Amino acid sequence: MSTPALELAGLRKSFGRTEIIRGVDLKIAKGERHAVIGPNGAGKSTLFNLITGRFPPTSGTVRLHGHDLTGLAPFEINRMGLSRSFQITNIFPKMTVFENVRCSLLWSHGYRYSFWNMVSRSRDLTEGADRILEQINLTARRDLPAGVLSYAEQRALEIGITIAGGADVIMLDEPTAGMSHSETDYIVDLIRTVTQDKTLVMVEHDMGVVFGLADTISVLVYGEIIASGTPEAVRGDPKVQEAYLGAALEAEH
Amino acid sequence: MDLVVINLIDGLFYGLLLFMLSSGLTLIFSMMGVLNFAHASFYMLGAYFAYQISQYIGFWPGLLFAPILVGIGGALIERYGLRRVHQYGHVPELIFTFGLALLIEELVKFFWGNNLMPYREPEILKFVLFSVGSNAVPAYKIFMIFTSMAIFLALLYVLTRTRIGMIIQAALSFPRTVEALGHNVPLVFMGVFGVGTALAGVAGVLAGPVLGTFPGMAFVLGSIVFVTIVIGGLGSLWGALVASLLLGWLTTFAASSSFAFSTLLEGIGMVRPEDMDESMLRDLWTLTLPQIGPILPYILMILILVLRPYGLFGKRDV
Amino acid sequence: MTDTTQKDTAIAAGSGITLGRALPWIIVSLFLLVLPWIFGSNSAITIMNQMMITVVFALSYNMLLGQGGMLSFGHAVYMGVGGFMVMHIMNLIEDYSLPVPMPLLPVFGGLFGLGLATIVGSFSTRRAGTVFAMISLGIGELIAACSIIIVAFFGGEEGIKGDRTYGLPVFGVEFLQQKEVYFVIAGWTVLATLLMYLFSRTPVGRMANAVRDNPERAEFLGYSARWVRFYSFCAAGFFAGVAGGLFAINYEILTEQNLNTVQSGVILLIAFLGGVGFFFGPIIGAVVFTLLQSVLSLQSEIWQLYVGALFVATVMFFPGGLAGVLMMHVPAWRLGKLGSLVVPYIKTVIPAMIGILGLAALMELVFHARHAAAGEDEITLFWTTFDGFSVLPWALASIACVGGIWIARATAPGLRAAWHRANTPDRRPAA
Repeated sequence: MSTPALELAGLRKSFGRTEIIRGVDLKIAKGERHAVIGPNGAGKSTLFNLITGRFPPTSGTVRLHGHDLTGLAPFEINRMGLSRSFQITNIFPKMTVFENVRCSLLWSHGYRYSFWNMVSRSRDLTEGADRILEQINLTARRDLPAGVLSYAEQRALEIGITIAGGADVIMLDEPTAGMSHSETDYIVDLIRTVTQDKTLVMVEHDMGVVFGLADTISVLVYGEIIASGTPEAVRGDPKVQEAYLGAALEAEH
Repeated sequence: MDLVVINLIDGLFYGLLLFMLSSGLTLIFSMMGVLNFAHASFYMLGAYFAYQISQYIGFWPGLLFAPILVGIGGALIERYGLRRVHQYGHVPELIFTFGLALLIEELVKFFWGNNLMPYREPEILKFVLFSVGSNAVPAYKIFMIFTSMAIFLALLYVLTRTRIGMIIQAALSFPRTVEALGHNVPLVFMGVFGVGTALAGVAGVLAGPVLGTFPGMAFVLGSIVFVTIVIGGLGSLWGALVASLLLGWLTTFAASSSFAFSTLLEGIGMVRPEDMDESMLRDLWTLTLPQIGPILPYILMILILVLRPYGLFGKRDV
Repeated sequence: MTDTTQKDTAIAAGSGITLGRALPWIIVSLFLLVLPWIFGSNSAITIMNQMMITVVFALSYNMLLGQGGMLSFGHAVYMGVGGFMVMHIMNLIEDYSLPVPMPLLPVFGGLFGLGLATIVGSFSTRRAGTVFAMISLGIGELIAACSIIIVAFFGGEEGIKGDRTYGLPVFGVEFLQQKEVYFVIAGWTVLATLLMYLFSRTPVGRMANAVRDNPERAEFLGYSARWVRFYSFCAAGFFAGVAGGLFAINYEILTEQNLNTVQSGVILLIAFLGGVGFFFGPIIGAVVFTLLQSVLSLQSEIWQLYVGALFVATVMFFPGGLAGVLMMHVPAWRLGKLGSLVVPYIKTVIPAMIGILGLAALMELVFHARHAAAGEDEITLFWTTFDGFSVLPWALASIACVGGIWIARATAPGLRAAWHRANTPDRRPAA
């Protein structure tokens, strides 16, 4: 079996005396679309932050394609091919939409900290950024400051920035939070196209989105994964039904 | 030994003066997240207002009314200036208070001119309280020390024992929650800014006669007060106290020491050059501790910021 | 020079508009070339030299504040150190007759500014915001204090002097005259401005904006916010050093005043007044401030009060500075409706100006009344001399002040409405 794209082993995190993540083991294979679900306060966002280096874990390891990520800063993890979006929209509000996307292309195109290249000279940067704008359907907004976009457009831009660098592991934190039905459908289609052939990990509350997109699902409750598997298996798992899904499904009807 | 006692008293005097400024500054910072660059300007206004009042009705009314005037001025500036800039973020706020410091200095020059004002301590305190060896300790200095201590205790009492103190402490950490509970947080902000600047005003009233009342007095003290609260830890009242006293004694002892760096150089086996003018290290040989005394606080601050960005007592990042 | 010209054309070629991109630079260069023939007097040349040095310094400051989001209270240090080094080199050239042409000297200023910025930046750029501001203040105070202690290098309170004419003559020019120096400074100003502009277009310059807006997001795009800040900081130090070198050449003296915190504060003021949000903002700030400084200071003793008030008003009401105010008009201009604003502007701005001038006159009168020596009743205001204690001038100034502001207030709603109309596109009639 090949090395998993992402592998968590014995991951724990405490804030003060409160243990938020209480030993998470998880393997996500290359090319898999994986959703982490769970009730509010289960630690989903914390888990994301531990994987991407925003917080250091108290103990345990995270491996990306077999490489240990312990002690690495977010930018180093990103360079290894992992990119994430945020639950609260996190873009560059004063820069134009195009500029937002272009900046997220710079590192992966090998520009690093160079101060001898002109970004406007590089055709592949301009075309790459325009291609992504096309994908996320924001070409018409190209030259507006990102801060003036509508909420749904900002969420789309957020996803655009996340995928632009060409990372092969994409992590999306509640990509459809706070969206209307039609906006959600648009974002789901968008996610499906842009994560083709990539590994996707996402946190999501909308069960429709989860069951529509994910190949596998993990259920996180109180910092522990109580079930993991295909949507059908998870749906049928009595523990999940008891702890979480039953209530959520009931609420939906 | 006499010198040590005198330095302890002088250092305490200077430290407590710093504390009267830094306590208000740190309170304002922890409430509103803004470092008030113009804080020492309010201290200067206190001295000038008190001088003007003392011209008409004497020193004691000045001690009472000048800080009140300064506090009202501070509250108005918060209401009509700072609150407006607040929406643009912290850096513009800092720039605003920086501009305010410039403007207040120019206004003071406009009304009172460039010269030292003949602002004096009251007659009743113009005597030597006691002497240590050949050094006289004026009564006014001791009066100042006790006044500032009293103010500190009063502040502590208000913050920890009264209802309004509870609201302030709560508003420090959870402004939204406090607002949701029905308290008028903008009003609390305005009040805290007013009280903080009034405290600076008191310091000005008290220090004016000793350190001189002139347009540069805010500039002389301004950045040191900043340094104090950064060293103490932003938002920590105890940190401000400890750092103020530390800096007070540090600068006083450094200023009165006779230590010269030449002894250090000779100590590590270097030979004093014959012709000083030709030596590249001339300045090191003639350097004395009193000369570098004024920059010690800055060195300390940079070290603190690099090694321990939350200061000695601070809990949160700058 | 050739190198940058090539670069410039190359960029232009990349995006297809050669002349359009290069044109502003060519126009500015030509303008600077003919300027000394329009304003040839010595005092005009002095002001223009001062202006151009300030432009370079203000632009370098804006690499920190505007482009990188770093508020520095100690930027004068880099200009000062660059200037002091150039002065020492100038003296070495004189003492050992070294064959170095004088116009090259600012490079050394830049290198030493860069060197100091590299050392300081290695620890100060770890964080932005208040920590950075405080460290910059500390370093600024520290080096300013050192400049009085270390006499061998900084020359104590008198500073150090030099003589620029001992360098290798360039085409027979020995730089005895201000006008000759003017061209050196103009050349450097254009070059430095161009390089700083180009820097803002490089990957690291673009990322500086990204880090300013949202450092955390930049980290999740593969960039370390700290290193991006560090590179901007070093570049800013370099150009500040260049400005220092130009200062040394122009004035042939440097003192502690060139690097103390007052100087650092002034450059913050200039950059902000001009507008930190746009690349050209600090240029406007430098030009306006130098003019104010040299013209107003002759007319009024309290000109610094006016500048202080202007600064505070800018921070409160126009956080985009003068450049921001200019750029506010771009949408109306695009809609072709700028013309409709002219009359409302005249109706509001002219009375407002009269009101402000009246207020200034009142302040001058108060100042005169409070501070004039006994018996010195004469005051000169607006090029007229009169008795400062007679009633008429006070009445006139009060009327101008109150009346002007009253009219301006009355016409302001009209201006606001016109502004709104000018910024709304015409609705096309439905087909």
